[in-house]
Amino acid sequence: MTTDATGSILPLFAFLIPIVAAVCTVPLQRISARVRDYSLLACGAAVAVLAVWLAAGVAEGGVYETFILQLTPDIWMYLRVDAAGALFGATVAVLWVLALVYSWGYMAEGHRLGRYYSFFMLCLGWTMGVAYSGNLLTFLIFYELFSILTYPLVVHEQTPEAMAAGTKYIIYILIGGSLVLLAIVLTFFAAGQQTLTDGGILSAEIGHGRLFAIFWCFIAGLGVKAAIVPLHGWVPDAHPAAPAPFSAVLSGVMVAAGSFGIIRVVFQVFGVEILREMGVAVMVTWLAGITVLFAAVLAVNQDNLKRRLAYSTISQMAYVVLGVSLLGPEGTIGALVHITNHAFMKGALFLCAGLFIRRLGVHRVSQLDGAARRMPVTAAAFALAALGMIGTPPLSGFVSKWYLGLGMLETEHPLLLVVLLGGALMAAIYLLPIVYRMYFREPVLTSDDRITAEGREAPASMLVPLVVISVLTAALGLAASLHGMPVWLARIAVEGFFR
Amino acid sequence: MDGAHVAAEAAHAAGEVAHLVASPLPVLLVLLPLLGAALVRPVGKRWPGARNALVVATTALTLLGAAGLIPLVGEHHRVGAVVPLMIGELTFTVDSFSMLFALFTSFVWLAATLHSLDYLKHEKKHDRYHTTSLIVLAANLGVVLAGDLITLYLFFEALGLVAFLLVIHTETDDAKKASVKYFWMTVTGGFALLGGIFLTFALGGSGAIEPLPAGHGDEVIRWAAAILLILGFGVKAGMVPVHVWLPDAHPVAPAPASALLSGVMIKAGAYGIFRVMTGLFRPEVAEHVEEHLWHFSEQLGLAVLWIGIATMFIGVFLALQQSNAKRMLAYHSVSQMGFILAGIGAAGYLSTHGAMGVAGGLYHVVNHALFKACLFLGVGAVYYRVHSLDLYKTGGLWKKMPITFVFMCIAAAGITGVPLFNGFVSKCLIHHAIVEAWEHHGLASLGIAEKIYIVTCGGTACSFIKLIGLMFLGKPKMEYGPEVTDAPPRMLVGMGVLASAIVVLGWFPQLLLKGVFQPGLHTWGIHGDLLDHYLEHYFLSASDLMSVVIAFALGFTFFFVGMKFHLFHLHAPQYFSIDWWYRRLARGLLRTCVLADETYEATRRGTSRFLRRTVSEYHGAVIRLSRRRRLIVATALTGAPAARDQHFMQHAYVTLERERQDCVRQAVAEALAHMRDEGRSAEDAQTIEIVESVRDIADYMAQRLMNERMGVLGDLARTDGLGGAGALFDDALPRLREARGPIVRTAIELAPRRSVGDNVTRETAAAINAILGKERFDQLIAPALTAPQQIAGRVLETGTSVKQVLPSHHAIASAGAGGLTRLERAAAWSVEMLAIVVDALTRERTGGITQRPVDEETVRATRLRIQRYARDIGLNVAILLLVLLVFIAALAAG
Repeated sequence: MTTDATGSILPLFAFLIPIVAAVCTVPLQRISARVRDYSLLACGAAVAVLAVWLAAGVAEGGVYETFILQLTPDIWMYLRVDAAGALFGATVAVLWVLALVYSWGYMAEGHRLGRYYSFFMLCLGWTMGVAYSGNLLTFLIFYELFSILTYPLVVHEQTPEAMAAGTKYIIYILIGGSLVLLAIVLTFFAAGQQTLTDGGILSAEIGHGRLFAIFWCFIAGLGVKAAIVPLHGWVPDAHPAAPAPFSAVLSGVMVAAGSFGIIRVVFQVFGVEILREMGVAVMVTWLAGITVLFAAVLAVNQDNLKRRLAYSTISQMAYVVLGVSLLGPEGTIGALVHITNHAFMKGALFLCAGLFIRRLGVHRVSQLDGAARRMPVTAAAFALAALGMIGTPPLSGFVSKWYLGLGMLETEHPLLLVVLLGGALMAAIYLLPIVYRMYFREPVLTSDDRITAEGREAPASMLVPLVVISVLTAALGLAASLHGMPVWLARIAVEGFFR
Repeated sequence: MDGAHVAAEAAHAAGEVAHLVASPLPVLLVLLPLLGAALVRPVGKRWPGARNALVVATTALTLLGAAGLIPLVGEHHRVGAVVPLMIGELTFTVDSFSMLFALFTSFVWLAATLHSLDYLKHEKKHDRYHTTSLIVLAANLGVVLAGDLITLYLFFEALGLVAFLLVIHTETDDAKKASVKYFWMTVTGGFALLGGIFLTFALGGSGAIEPLPAGHGDEVIRWAAAILLILGFGVKAGMVPVHVWLPDAHPVAPAPASALLSGVMIKAGAYGIFRVMTGLFRPEVAEHVEEHLWHFSEQLGLAVLWIGIATMFIGVFLALQQSNAKRMLAYHSVSQMGFILAGIGAAGYLSTHGAMGVAGGLYHVVNHALFKACLFLGVGAVYYRVHSLDLYKTGGLWKKMPITFVFMCIAAAGITGVPLFNGFVSKCLIHHAIVEAWEHHGLASLGIAEKIYIVTCGGTACSFIKLIGLMFLGKPKMEYGPEVTDAPPRMLVGMGVLASAIVVLGWFPQLLLKGVFQPGLHTWGIHGDLLDHYLEHYFLSASDLMSVVIAFALGFTFFFVGMKFHLFHLHAPQYFSIDWWYRRLARGLLRTCVLADETYEATRRGTSRFLRRTVSEYHGAVIRLSRRRRLIVATALTGAPAARDQHFMQHAYVTLERERQDCVRQAVAEALAHMRDEGRSAEDAQTIEIVESVRDIADYMAQRLMNERMGVLGDLARTDGLGGAGALFDDALPRLREARGPIVRTAIELAPRRSVGDNVTRETAAAINAILGKERFDQLIAPALTAPQQIAGRVLETGTSVKQVLPSHHAIASAGAGGLTRLERAAAWSVEMLAIVVDALTRERTGGITQRPVDEETVRATRLRIQRYARDIGLNVAILLLVLLVFIAALAAG
């Protein structure tokens, strides 16, 4: 649908600015850490403003596109901002800026900050590229770049656990990436280089066998990133090992990038009709349903807070895949909105976990007794995000679950409500006891001088992002139906998908 | 009056009120307490007095606002507001029933808030209490004013979750336990409710609280939706079998909070069930005439009616066994909710004739809110003064707290249904509804229900005879201090307003019946004139009074029999309690999660261990395979076992070194024994010196011996190759040990001399020479050299010479770059290959030998391998020669 798109240079900036920032990080650091911090913030904020501005434009019905590079006569790189991409891009950019600000405090005593910030910005650039990719090749390039270049951030702490987790991460991601590559090559031979188009670029004429092969390669490849259950192994290891601000981004956005890819594949590579005809979506529904419940069950027994949250991510991201696989408009709205909502809620939870680590030296759920007395704001943010995650109205988690539920009924799968509500109940079981501990258990005071009864609240630079995310979580729920909100964008996207 | 006529009239009425009149009042009613709640903390931090005023003013204003609904609703029937929030919009719709709920909610809230000002004096965190209380008030009003299911769900969840803070307020262990149970049941109920709401969409609903379209969606989903909705609301309402949190949670909260929980909040659940029954699962007003459309709601009504009967009976039965007054009241809340559910159920069952049920149920909602709140406040006042709630320990309080006693009596009269108190009216209405239900289709089981109803009324009477009798009358069972006087004035005002409302509603039932229920029912096309009939013919009629007398007679009988035979302290085994089963279920769920995780982790670890082992086994297999391959090639062609000498030398070195150490150790041990024989102590400095000398001498000699032996082996290896020397060497070991004796003897002999400084080198050298001469180590080993091994030892030379004989690749290539025949090329290739093979085979092989600790086992294994290797070498060499001959022949032929 390149005809009605507006040529615009802006999408290009969305990924160029962070990359330039990443390159300049180390020189800037030579000048001073403060200069580095503020320059990076300026760049990040610029990207966020840009992304939100693009989203606002798309909400008015616009579509932006940019040709980047003609590689061969048949292959070119091309950015295109449609509703789904704009929504994901805005989510990515906003969450990233908040995590960046949070990093100042979190990484204050860290080592090799140049490397950290540089890769942090670099990944922002690639992820923006993933969001705005206009064709499969562009998607592939950005997807692989950001998958692989994430590795230095995963192993940043360079503890043995981090290194092991990094190895695991890179093996999973490379295998997934190869499958995606294979799928894209197959698609290229089946349909040629085409712009991702609502309604799909593949035609049923190429035969079911090849369609099946392409579909499963895509699902398995992107499923590694989206952590669908047999492919989820890297998630629970990578999250606890990575620094907290990066965990927030990893969980909120990177895992979602896989789900986002699946959305692109389902609606813009295959198209709803072909998939309905093939009847494969039901299998994905099953996989996703199992993932939701299985990961949630495992989360209950995790004592390491970040590990518990990582399992929660697996469970929650499966909702997205579940919503997509229903192949109904409402379910897809739910899926798209859930990516955004989950990003902020899980981001908040990970930022809180990071604060507990930094301010209290606490990694484990069982050590969090009475934490609310010491860190009231953090605990409140955690409680809010946890309630949102469960889907308590009027927080944002409820909105996405509501649309997912409607999607299940609309496609006449009322039994899937058991998965939806069961997953939510399990989320309550693994998140709310933490909140209870923080507020209603007496803190165990040890001789360790890091743990005192009161007054361990975090510095403002770390609290501000947390508070902003909390406000967003509430606002995205309360104002969900307003013009230009995620639901609105998702609806525009879905109108295209189901035209 | 025929059905069609009624339906037409009802449709007309419905048409009249179909349009909503917009008014911001419902939204303001919800916002006002929220605003107040936001201000509580900032104000309360500095000025607690101002905070108290703020809280009371907010509640009073809310009540005023709710009263403001009366004229609005009276005029327009349905008043609504729309707020564009969340999904789509939040809608508020107020009809007469919502108005009724809002009114009594804010009324009771005001009373409880007044009471709380004093009561909280012995609690902490007043700000938290008041903030929570105001938020819960807002949520509660939101529930009853909500116009659609999503809005209802939003406020219902808020109500349930925030009320948690009221339950846990005291933060005692009991409170924590109870609140955790409360919380999980609320959360689970919330999900059931959400599931039910979702399913109404599958039934063609739009989210509005309106009749679901008939014949849309299948029956299973309809039942599932109804069950989930009723279960979801029922958890809050304390409906059996999901009531178990209630008797735990209500008593542990501060008394005013208990009053609110029991009096008002559980009514939110009742309100939900009422709306489900009469709002969702009911045919459209225009379709009333069609009997079959009522089928589902009749069935559902019957189910709810029976749930109500079960709830009232079980509640009262358990209440009788309590000794804690608040706990007893909590069980009565369960029981009274049963009355309400029975009324609502009967209303559903009686379809268009259900006016009596609706009126009874809702009248009882209001009544129960009033008297239960009053009872809790009264008991709270007692606790405030006496600090005990045990029925069997207090007593005779009427003298100390006369006004409280009067209010308690009024409330008890209300709950037991004494004529001219409010409970009388609603209980009679419900009773009539049940009787009508019985007569409607003549179901015999409903006859039993009616009997149970009467017995339950008797149980209620008994229970409150017990409460008043044991707590306020009789003789005091404990000493009361001077502080036990009547409750403080603000508490009394709180109770007083409730008590007066109880009396007013008892005297003038038409206030509600005609003012609220009839117009409300009219809009649904339900025969409201039944209520007129009731007021004219039944209110305070002889038969109704008679049923009260029966109930009280039963009550007194139960009381005296129970007290006489101590029946009030019976306890059923725990598996009778639903609570026990829930706990087991919850624990089972958790255990399943833990088990799943452990199994998963174990599987994961097992898999990774399996993978690692597979990888290492693969590596091992590759190494073994390459060794085997080399062995095969070597066996097939030749063998150049240069490595085995090296192995043998290592082995020999280790063995000899061990022998050396053993020898020295033995010398020291014998020297010590010798010293002991001579009667010297081991700690003696001289002894130590001598023993050290022994060590030195023995060490020197053994080292010399070892060097000699290694020298022999080294020479052997250099000159002739060791061949099968290994076996002989091992056989020779016992002979080598014979040398220990002389060494030890020499050392012990020479030690005293050395210890005093003499030079003993000559003597030791002589001794060593003697030992070596006797041992002849070289001869022990030498016979091992046999003919084939000698040949094998020369393979190297052979290889070299073969290589020299063979023409090199370059030579061949340059000799005839173009002129070679095919055979010549083949021969050249073969020669080249042979050269490579010979080169490869004659190269010393040490790769692939892994470092392993040398123990007996490996030594023996190595030895065996070496023997086997040596045995094969003869054959190898022969084959090599044969192959060589063949090639030479081929060359010659070419």
